[in-house]
Amino acid sequence: MQRLVLLGLAILGLGSWFLGFQADPTRSLYGYLFAFVSVLTIPLGCMVFVLIQHLTRAGWSVLVRRIAEFGMATVPLFAVLFLPIALLGHDLFPWSHVEHLDENLIKKMPYLNMKFFMIRAAMYFVVWTGIAVWFYRKSLAQDANPNVTRQLWKWSTLGIVLFALSTSFASFDWLMSLQPHWYSTVFGVYFFAGCFLAGLAFMSLALMRTSIPLKPDHYHDLGKLLFGFTVFWAYIGFSQFMLYWYANIPEETEFYMRRLEDGWQSISWALLFTNFFIPFFVIMSRHAKRNKKVFAFGCLWILCAHFLDIYWLVMPTSGDEHWINFLPYDLGALLGILALFMVAFNWIMKGQSMIPKGDPRLKESLAFENY
Amino acid sequence: MHRGDLVLDEDLVKREDLIRGGLGYHDITEKVCKMAETPFLETHKGWLVGFALAASTLTMFVLAIGYLIWEGIGIWGNTSPTFWAWDIVNFVFWVGIGHAGTLISAILFLFRQKWRTSINRYAEAMTIFAVICALIFPGIHVGRIWVVYFFFPIPNQMDMWPNFRSPLLWDLFAVGTYFTVSLLFWYVGLVPDLATLRDRVKNKAAKLLYGLFSLGWRGSMRHWVHYERAYLLLAALSTPLVLSVHSVVSFDFATAQLPGWHTTIFPPYFVAGAIFSGFAMVQTLMLPARLWLGLKDIVTIKHIENMNKIILVTGSMVGYAYGIEFFMAWYSGNEYESFTFINRAFGPYAWAYWTMVTCNVITPQLFWFKKLRTSITVSFILSIFVNIGMWFERFVIIVTSLNRDFLPSSWHYFTPRIWEPIFLIGSFGLFFTFFLLFVRYLPVIAMAEIKGVIANGDDHHA
Amino acid sequence: MLKNYGLIAEYESPHAICEASKRVRDAGYQKWDACTPFPVHGLDKAMGLKDSVLPWFVLVAGITGCALISWLMIWVAAYDYPLNIGGKPTWSVPAFVPPAFEVTILFSSLMAVFGMFALCGLPRLHHPLFHSKKFERVTDDKFFIVIEAQDALFDLEKTKDLLNQTHPVSIELVEEQL
Repeated sequence: MQRLVLLGLAILGLGSWFLGFQADPTRSLYGYLFAFVSVLTIPLGCMVFVLIQHLTRAGWSVLVRRIAEFGMATVPLFAVLFLPIALLGHDLFPWSHVEHLDENLIKKMPYLNMKFFMIRAAMYFVVWTGIAVWFYRKSLAQDANPNVTRQLWKWSTLGIVLFALSTSFASFDWLMSLQPHWYSTVFGVYFFAGCFLAGLAFMSLALMRTSIPLKPDHYHDLGKLLFGFTVFWAYIGFSQFMLYWYANIPEETEFYMRRLEDGWQSISWALLFTNFFIPFFVIMSRHAKRNKKVFAFGCLWILCAHFLDIYWLVMPTSGDEHWINFLPYDLGALLGILALFMVAFNWIMKGQSMIPKGDPRLKESLAFENY
Repeated sequence: MHRGDLVLDEDLVKREDLIRGGLGYHDITEKVCKMAETPFLETHKGWLVGFALAASTLTMFVLAIGYLIWEGIGIWGNTSPTFWAWDIVNFVFWVGIGHAGTLISAILFLFRQKWRTSINRYAEAMTIFAVICALIFPGIHVGRIWVVYFFFPIPNQMDMWPNFRSPLLWDLFAVGTYFTVSLLFWYVGLVPDLATLRDRVKNKAAKLLYGLFSLGWRGSMRHWVHYERAYLLLAALSTPLVLSVHSVVSFDFATAQLPGWHTTIFPPYFVAGAIFSGFAMVQTLMLPARLWLGLKDIVTIKHIENMNKIILVTGSMVGYAYGIEFFMAWYSGNEYESFTFINRAFGPYAWAYWTMVTCNVITPQLFWFKKLRTSITVSFILSIFVNIGMWFERFVIIVTSLNRDFLPSSWHYFTPRIWEPIFLIGSFGLFFTFFLLFVRYLPVIAMAEIKGVIANGDDHHA
Repeated sequence: MLKNYGLIAEYESPHAICEASKRVRDAGYQKWDACTPFPVHGLDKAMGLKDSVLPWFVLVAGITGCALISWLMIWVAAYDYPLNIGGKPTWSVPAFVPPAFEVTILFSSLMAVFGMFALCGLPRLHHPLFHSKKFERVTDDKFFIVIEAQDALFDLEKTKDLLNQTHPVSIELVEEQL
């Protein structure tokens, strides 16, 4: 039943996006890219969460780990969803218009060209699928044989290195190169902060709908991480903005100038509140993190705010001055992809043990007390 | 151990004991207080020799500062276009080292890393002394030190205010706050342990001093409730603070329009580098000290291994930043950017660059191997490498970016004079003098915290 | 002249003092305390203590710090002596963020520390409990319950009986100078 509803939503969403596609194919592709990246950050966030738990031999998180593993295992779906971008990417990325490139972009051609772009995208998906499938399978194997834990611990190191490199470059390729003259060395870190927030917020929400024997203490810890990464996101965002604002070099301020005109300034200002001040004060208190309702609201807020962040990264580059008119189609794409992701997530989850029952630290997690 | 029908590997389940040898509360007190309670005449010879060395180096430093103030900063080799060199390198180097203490006390506390209790006191002390060293350099490099009050927003007859839009002023606020908060954090942690010493020492004068500084602490649970809350709050406040301090230091460079300085990854990259260098310095000091003070059961191989892991992680972050900077220098398509980076790696300062890369990125990779990261000798040698590498990192950032100006006619190879090394070595004198005094007269291990950790461990077994 | 300060009972373990504290709490004493070498997990509950109010003080201090420095920066840069520096506007809000942040943290931390000592009633140079030789071990490895003679329920014999029921290692009457 639930699956039918989700599939219905997926069709509804992608269908409405398709209406937009017929009206204005190029413009609607930006909407698709926004939706694709927004939802992809959830499994990526789950993936890095899982890797970090293995890397640090964490005890408290054993009970919540399986949900993250289901989340990350949906990554192969996104390889399929990437196809429209791969096929129609020419319309999205200005650097692909090889006939009229300026001197600066010609210099970048060894990196920014369609062929290499595809190869890189393929590599990212190979790496992510590899990590997701391997760690998911091994985790299931751990249920029967706890000694697999050692392998999980050992290979999480390599996993995290590959993850860091692949997500950084994916963010350069798919988001930063939308404005191909612009560059920022911290962009990968900014994207990573967003991924982690999306993953954590999604996990916390998903956990509330399961029967896993969690205590408020577990939500408290997830909330602490969300709080920490909200601040981290603001820190990275502020550093990037302030440094470019301060030095005031035209090719660097271009990114912010674009986002402070044509009505985009409203989103730029809103981000400050939606992604920082509001979540900061909502989940700052210990009681908010331990209260399921308040915390659920906080997570939902953070997830939506994160989508707004991606929207803000992608959309202003479309050159659209009447973007509000097109917003329903963009949201349609988001709804469609989100629903597909949920279908995949539920499908993976079905019939599996909801807790890593072979994990040697399970007892520690069950008895976990937070202060 | 059995859970259902599963047979678990014993070491998988067990968390290693934080301290070894089954020490009880009283044993810990005895072990930690031993050094502080040794009468002056029975002081260990090694300590006396070390202290004499450190104090003479400190004297040299003081004299050198006096000469600098008398003569002006012309005694250094700074000339156009390299107006910032060793003075700022040393400043950033010391501030960086000062990051490990607060990281250990605050961030690891928030992450419930209980192993930190064996090393936090030590690392916090190191932080404070390193920040003192750091503050001296910007203080003396202003040249006219008697007008250093210009920095502070003090109403004066010139109606003159500091420029709050300048990153250098932010730096003053950041490092000043950091010093104050680190000192408070350290002191708050010390109070219960000073009370322990107060209740134990026989010497009247010592008893008076310890009594004064322990503020009449009597271990009341009604006090502990506030105390623990204050500690948690300080940890929560110090965590963003520690990130902000080196970020602000990086703003000194990154707000400029100079290629090689103006890059957005600087704030997190500086923070990672700071923690990296700080942990290396903790290792350098702790490995010999745990032998000499007989603390091998409290600071175990497990602690050393954990710290090496953090060195590996932060070292890899630094490596990531080097790589991304290089990639972006090319990707920007900006010839000045690319030139700066090619010049770093292959220009006149290539030797410094490759020293940095070797010490910071390549050698720490040895810590991937468990055998090496649990070896005390290897840890010690690699920690020295990291210290060297991180000093060179700041040198590379500052000097190679400055010495190739936009105007090729002003290009100039910077060479230090004799005074620069004297200041650097002198600052180590200051650092070690304070450090040796700390080791001699204060509890080097947070006794109350360790006892708490042991007690809670007992609860779980019960 | 000497007068009774109170009774102290000595215990060997965190567990013992927690159990004993529950008895004293349930007996209805108000002016009593447990003194320990380290914060004992769960003892605050066993004693029936409330959470510390310190966080509220710290919050207020942080907001005060942030407001003060923001006012100072804006007033100085934009009103008292506006200068054009590097073409930056006088209201350079991004540039004011770092000092504002630092001062917020500074004020909060100072409040956390000094507020904490104020709430504890420290520093103080002396305390009647320091008369007891036994009590010196409180900062080492011994755990004490202190019931003050000031307490309305205090009665030398009855209180001693109550403490005796909690199996202390020893009980001592502490006196203070009038």
